[in-house]
Amino acid sequence: MRVSLQGVEVRRGEWTLTADGIFTQGRHLVTGPVGSGKSTVALLIAGMVTPDRGTVAREGEGPIFLSLPFPEHHSTGATVREEIASWGLAPDPVLSGAGLAGKLPEELHRCSRGELKRLHLACVLARRWDLLLLDEPYTALDCPAREALSARLSAPPAAMTVIFTHARESLPRVDRLWEIREGRLVDLGPVREAIPLWSSPPAYLRSALDQGAVPENISVQDVREALCRTDG
Amino acid sequence: MIRVEGLVHDSLAIPALEIPDGETAVIGPNGAGKTTLLRILSGITLPAQGSVRVDGIPPREREVGWVGEYPDRNFLFDRVRDEIASPLRFRHLPCGETDARVQEVAEMLGIARLRDRSVMALSGGEKVLVALAAALVSRPRLLLMDEVDSHLDPDTVLLMEAALRRAGCPAVIRVTAQMESALRASHLVFLQGGKVLHQGPPDRVFSALEDTAFLPPLWRCGR
Repeated sequence: MRVSLQGVEVRRGEWTLTADGIFTQGRHLVTGPVGSGKSTVALLIAGMVTPDRGTVAREGEGPIFLSLPFPEHHSTGATVREEIASWGLAPDPVLSGAGLAGKLPEELHRCSRGELKRLHLACVLARRWDLLLLDEPYTALDCPAREALSARLSAPPAAMTVIFTHARESLPRVDRLWEIREGRLVDLGPVREAIPLWSSPPAYLRSALDQGAVPENISVQDVREALCRTDG
Repeated sequence: MIRVEGLVHDSLAIPALEIPDGETAVIGPNGAGKTTLLRILSGITLPAQGSVRVDGIPPREREVGWVGEYPDRNFLFDRVRDEIASPLRFRHLPCGETDARVQEVAEMLGIARLRDRSVMALSGGEKVLVALAAALVSRPRLLLMDEVDSHLDPDTVLLMEAALRRAGCPAVIRVTAQMESALRASHLVFLQGGKVLHQGPPDRVFSALEDTAFLPPLWRCGR
């Protein structure tokens, strides 16, 4: 799978987003402030928004999935049991992955948003996608769930995963960093070289860079290891 | 001072809790009862058992402000200035006084330039500031905010926190899932399973959470 954005421009009134770049196999992180256009890039890559100028070309056949920020936008079942069945999955591994043991008969509208989000992500991650787009996957999750998600997303994917988020705590290991700056999608490059170019890194990463650390990646674990090396 | 005594409601069980004035962050896992506690502190929900007092008076008899997780779902008016003015207009305050207080709070929060904009055309951060202005225009004794920062990036959260401090509300209690934001509060309450497991200054509470996912990343990386 390969997605190429060439001379892309999307206009909404006075707001404009431009994008050029190539997404290939691996883990990508697209960051930027709220309202900067991360969801628009996700929709462009998914083929759900047509640019006003330029082209978005997807090469490679296979299933694509776009996970939206609000899990209720994906729900089709009335109960947890029906929801898991709608994905064609066996209930036990999903329930265990989502931390929802014993909740199989629960009606979805009685689940908290955190529970719904965990259920949705467990279903999404149990399936195989050639291109997986996760728009704000950390929203509504508490700290342990965010940490568990980052650990899961840190594993090298079989195909392409693109994470779009404004979150700057509990980030996963990734292969390539992208940032939206003043309406333009910027490819910062492979993660190690991209870290010093990142204009809005997480506070823990910025602090480590200020201390002279050179992290291999952006997760808290990588930064801790880099600080240990710096301390000698 | 907010005092909770003998509180029992759904999964919440809090024998006694005192929350000082200043900025308090309520943290804890999903399902801990954070939003339920906030609703009871606000007076929106009456507890099955126990009492809440704000300076010795029930919250429903005090001026209390509320900002929810999705501020734009509660907007009633299209124009920013009308939304901010609405709590005062519903009380039939004179137009001159209403306009002056809208102006005052809009300037304090740095959103005076937005007054004639449509609320639907605002960014996520701007919507939060407009909802905050509508809550503060009544000069509440107590302001409650339920995961308002969950859809904001950390830089916008910093702007919101600075605006809150300028507003000078005596007591602000906010539920947050951003631990580095919680670190900047003056007081923390950590809830789990409906119980207050830890409370006090952030340094003390986070020291008690040393081996958990709630420890702010900055602390994990040696601060």
